[in-house]
Amino acid sequence: MTLEALPFDVPVRVTGYAALSVFDKDRLAGLGMRPGVSVVKILKTPLQDPVECLVGTQLLAIEARLLPHIRVEAV
Amino acid sequence: MKRVVALAGRPNTGKTTLFNALTGLRHRAANFAGCTVEKATGTMRSSGGEIEVVDLPGTFSMVPQTEDEQVAFRFLSECADGTDDLLVLCVAEASNLDNDLVLPVGLKASGYPVALAVNMIDEARLNGIKLDAAELSGRLGMPVALVSARTGEGVSKLDGLLAPSVLRADVSEALDFRRVTKKRLHELQDDAVEKARTAAAASVTWPHRAVLPVTARAIRIDRVLLHPVAGPVILAATMFALFQALFVGAAPVMDLLSGWLASLSELLRARLPDGAMASLLCDGALPGISAVVVFVPQIAILFTMIGFLEQSGYLPRAGAMVDRALRPFGLDGRVFIPFLSSFACAIPGVMAARTIHSEKRRIVTILLAPLMTCSARIPVYTLLITAFVPETFRPLGLNGQGVVMAGMYVFGVVLALLLALALKFTALHELHPAPATVLPPYRIPSVRDLSRYVWARCWHFLSRAGQVIFVMSLVLWALAAFPRDAARLAPLEAELTAARAASPADPALEKSVRDRIAAARIEGSALGRAGRAIEPVFRPLGWDWRVSIASLSALAAREVFVGTLGTIYALGGESDASEGLISALRAAENPDGTKRYGVATAVSLLIFFAIALQCMSTIVTVRRETGGWKIPALQFSFLFALAYALSFAGYRLALAFLV
Repeated sequence: MTLEALPFDVPVRVTGYAALSVFDKDRLAGLGMRPGVSVVKILKTPLQDPVECLVGTQLLAIEARLLPHIRVEAV
Repeated sequence: MKRVVALAGRPNTGKTTLFNALTGLRHRAANFAGCTVEKATGTMRSSGGEIEVVDLPGTFSMVPQTEDEQVAFRFLSECADGTDDLLVLCVAEASNLDNDLVLPVGLKASGYPVALAVNMIDEARLNGIKLDAAELSGRLGMPVALVSARTGEGVSKLDGLLAPSVLRADVSEALDFRRVTKKRLHELQDDAVEKARTAAAASVTWPHRAVLPVTARAIRIDRVLLHPVAGPVILAATMFALFQALFVGAAPVMDLLSGWLASLSELLRARLPDGAMASLLCDGALPGISAVVVFVPQIAILFTMIGFLEQSGYLPRAGAMVDRALRPFGLDGRVFIPFLSSFACAIPGVMAARTIHSEKRRIVTILLAPLMTCSARIPVYTLLITAFVPETFRPLGLNGQGVVMAGMYVFGVVLALLLALALKFTALHELHPAPATVLPPYRIPSVRDLSRYVWARCWHFLSRAGQVIFVMSLVLWALAAFPRDAARLAPLEAELTAARAASPADPALEKSVRDRIAAARIEGSALGRAGRAIEPVFRPLGWDWRVSIASLSALAAREVFVGTLGTIYALGGESDASEGLISALRAAENPDGTKRYGVATAVSLLIFFAIALQCMSTIVTVRRETGGWKIPALQFSFLFALAYALSFAGYRLALAFLV
């Protein structure tokens, strides 16, 4: 399952990335979006993009185009 | 050998707040990632002697991606080359240790002496988090202190940790970040992530809740502030309220200040004997300075509102909200903070662009940031709007002058977006450079911090404008007072002598002759002659020689325009302290009796000042940020040409439709 397919307000765990550029992967990892961390999709911003997610204990606004590339599993 | 303590850590962990607490300085701290983009230095006294404290920009990981992140790593490597006794004090947020411990672990593994300050311990308590500092220290192999830089809790205990020792730490084997490969940095990062996670897990007791209370509150607020309908309405209302407040809230205090300064001028004129000194003070220095001082209330309101937004945590949300809307223009939500900072002053706006990791987008942001309406434009806009937009103009029952002021802010933004759109078709365009941003917890701004911030910004405005305008006023006074055209003045002075001797006395006639003498003096002066020489260049924009000179003098700094015009009108005998510059501009007439300025001239001036890059400090900052004169030279020339062309078009359109 990817973060894009995940319904809102459901906690999951990141398992890895699929076909993501090194730049985006580094950036997300630097922000705390790493394999093993818990994620919850919270809401879409008014223009539907970016999407607010709770990653660990912090809130991130993540570009919608990245969500299909972030693999997650149920907690 | 001096003791140097470098504050490092992820963005928005409170490094600058701790820096201020340690050094007693008042550097700008805000609630968003990337507030500090340049290192700042201060000193603190400890039991062991003096310590140099350096506040470094935030770094998300061991792999620097942006210019400000590289500043931090470069500094550490330069320190390792020197002979100073270096200690890296990493600052971590107590509620986010999993992420924040990666940097201290990575730096220690790179051979640097590291200590850890776990900040926001008060907020961690509210979240129900318990920390075992001894366990954390043992796991990480470095000293650990629990602090709250905001309240001062635990800060005094840092003294023992930071105090200089007899021997300095050995950094000869420390990693040189200027030469290291990306592969090595990734290895360090991966190792540090694992060790940080283990250390955090062993030393932190989490509450039995799915989401921390502070985060849960942020999510609840976000569901309102980022609501599909309410979100944009709240954002628009916030921005509109800001610009309305600039006029409605500031007007009474501005009137009061204006009255006091007018009384001071009249008092001085009455006490001082007629002559050069009285003229220098009452016609030169005082009108120039008072023309700027009266705008302090507006500056205070602007910075109070910007400071509130910065400290509350709303700004990154606003950036996220406009992100999608900006993408068609080749921009993204990351430009929101540089652009909003530019509403205060273009310099922090240009520097805030360092947080943008795409070099091309950073340049685009730097090019466009000066189009946002900075505080230096406020005196110019206020003067022109108050003089030429009638108070009876009340669209939809709103304050019409406030609406025009808001319109000027919108004009700057729209023009920046259109230019961004044009730049999209150049080599400066780049797709998707910002994949994600941190949304910090909401925090209630501290009244103490907010007042210090507003005071610092007002003082900066006053001292900068005061220095420039005082010197400019003296220079302008000299240029406007000399040389004296004796041949032209002789018949007028004879007329004045006759008017004084007339019986019964005719004060109206005497005043009229005095005004003609003053006008003749300034027209025959060096300033008047220079103004007449350049007048043909700006005549197509509807400007006379006075406005042309004032606009040229404003190339140094925009607010100088008001001071220069104040001096010219005071010396020309067309304005005095009791009437003020606004009345003088409204009443000014040409020799044939027609109005010298009208709405069309005001439109032309407003457009010119909205676009032209009239700020030496900004030009120098752009040169520093881009590493050469090419971009600032292009930026200045292009914006000046665009300002001239659009002012001309605006003047002609206003003549056709508004007059």
